[in-house]
Amino acid sequence: MSGTDALPISRPNRTAELLVPALLGGLILAYFALPFVAFLSRTGAANITAGLSTPETQHAIRNSLITAPIATAISTVLGVPLAYVLARRSFPGKRLVEGLVVLPLIVPPVVGGAMIITAVGRFTPIGSAAAAVGVPLTDSLLGVVLAQTFVAAPFVIITARAGFGAIDERLEQASRSLGYGPLATFRNVSLPLAHGAILAGIVLTFARAIGEFGATMMVAYNPRTMPTRIWVDFIAGGIDAIVPLALTLLGITLVVLAAVQRLARVPTVIDR
Amino acid sequence: MTLELEGVSHRYGDELAVSDVSFGAEPGELVGLLGPSGCGKTTLVQAIAGHVRPTAGRILLRGDDVTDTPPERRHVSVVFQRPTLYPHMTVSENVAYGLAARGMDREERDARTRDYLDLVDLEEQCDSYPTELSGGQQRRVELARALAPQPDVLLLDEPLSGLDPTLRERLRDEIARIQRETGVTTLFVTHDQEDAMALADRLVVMNDGRVAGSGHPRRLYDSPPTPFVASFLGRSNTLSGTVVNQDPLTVAFGDAELSLDGTNLRRSEGETVLCHVRPKDLSFAPAETNGASVSVTGEVKRIVDLGRRYDVTLETRTGDEVVVEEPARPPSRDESVSVSVPGDCVTVFDGEQSDSSRLS
Repeated sequence: MSGTDALPISRPNRTAELLVPALLGGLILAYFALPFVAFLSRTGAANITAGLSTPETQHAIRNSLITAPIATAISTVLGVPLAYVLARRSFPGKRLVEGLVVLPLIVPPVVGGAMIITAVGRFTPIGSAAAAVGVPLTDSLLGVVLAQTFVAAPFVIITARAGFGAIDERLEQASRSLGYGPLATFRNVSLPLAHGAILAGIVLTFARAIGEFGATMMVAYNPRTMPTRIWVDFIAGGIDAIVPLALTLLGITLVVLAAVQRLARVPTVIDR
Repeated sequence: MTLELEGVSHRYGDELAVSDVSFGAEPGELVGLLGPSGCGKTTLVQAIAGHVRPTAGRILLRGDDVTDTPPERRHVSVVFQRPTLYPHMTVSENVAYGLAARGMDREERDARTRDYLDLVDLEEQCDSYPTELSGGQQRRVELARALAPQPDVLLLDEPLSGLDPTLRERLRDEIARIQRETGVTTLFVTHDQEDAMALADRLVVMNDGRVAGSGHPRRLYDSPPTPFVASFLGRSNTLSGTVVNQDPLTVAFGDAELSLDGTNLRRSEGETVLCHVRPKDLSFAPAETNGASVSVTGEVKRIVDLGRRYDVTLETRTGDEVVVEEPARPPSRDESVSVSVPGDCVTVFDGEQSDSSRLS
């Protein structure tokens, strides 16, 4: 009875409630969409196939497709266990570790790149030692991977940590009591239950890695990746010159995103 | 003893959660661990399961000290308050989970899984996912999963809380039946005294991290060793009285005197004692003249109609608040009434001390 009484009164309120977020949200959404649409509208003017057929461009695509997955894999393999420990344990110095994890997010990429050079550059002990055995850490694909990992790894760590944190610890305790050690419990329970969050983190990390410019430019301006190539093309030929490569970069990221989302549906996923 | 706790204490930082707790469980026994929220019950469960290392004391399983043994090597199964079924596994995969860990081959595992799903009457749901089951069914699967590896000890940590009353009672009966059929040594942890009384062979009542009393449920209820047990195990009224005579012990409530024969409690005249009496033992009938009961007068403050009875709260002339359970016709508010307190239903406590004497 109160439902029918309350409806006429509450309806105008409901609309007003939604009005403010709709207006504010609409503004920011329009601001996201506008540059996108404006940029895409330039595609007609550019000759995409011609733009993508130069050897420089193809090298850049190849380099990006080699380095970004490697950086993502390194970030995931090293980062996910760390994320689990951060979600589950408290230990002395945990705050410091948490600070270190977000440090690459706070530091501007170009500064991050400068920091990497000061640590592993050609004239540092590590850098010169590596160069001496034939694996230079700067101006090489390895340098690109180092820069990408530095900038992109926090995404998978932070997202996976949130995913592990959302699992009720008792599910893991039950597994231990049912006879499984910590590693088996991680594999059987924690990992499958957090896999949605981990995959989301992997996608974010990959997108960040393949689009990485600032740190990469400092650490390995050569060999060119897609973002550094885009910069070079832009300096030489303006907006229209970069449209083909920019669209390819966007396309790759979207394909990876779609593929991962698709993949995540395959096992019995819990929509939560 | 299948399970034994020896002087177990645990601190979280500066806070003492459990203090010097010792009790045990005989093979096949169902021990109820009863206490209010925050009394340290869950810490004990965690310690027995091996998820918490107690700061002091020992935990023994079948005579072996397991205080430092990791949970996976203890053979202790836990059913938690909130469901912990694995949402990415089917019902039978959940039940079989603990069997695979023990290296059981597939055929045996399937047979055992079927047996235990049969035990909780859920064979039909074996291919469902936990989210497709009702709350009660989830609890039963959880029981099956905990029991399938045939643990030495089953820990039930508030398995009935959060269920509606009908389901709660049904599941309680189910737990009693399953425990009887499997004969598994069980520690049933609850804050609900009715659940504890209904299920347990033996009760351990905890308060503030310590054991406040233990024993057979009915004996604990009838002759509580401490005021806490008296008030937590069922309802209890506290009347403060003054000792007016030692032999026989006679206590005065205002100007009414009650002679408590057969007590061995030694109190000097003029001392104040606490007398506990259950609301169900009080009545508005006039006191018997033979001195076996006494009339206490007071004014009716509140009357609550609970359907099957009335709870009448009155304030006595000495300032104590007393609840009387009255099945039929309650007095009216502000009415001055006298309540008959039967001497053989009174337990005398010495202030805050735990020694007591049952008069009978």
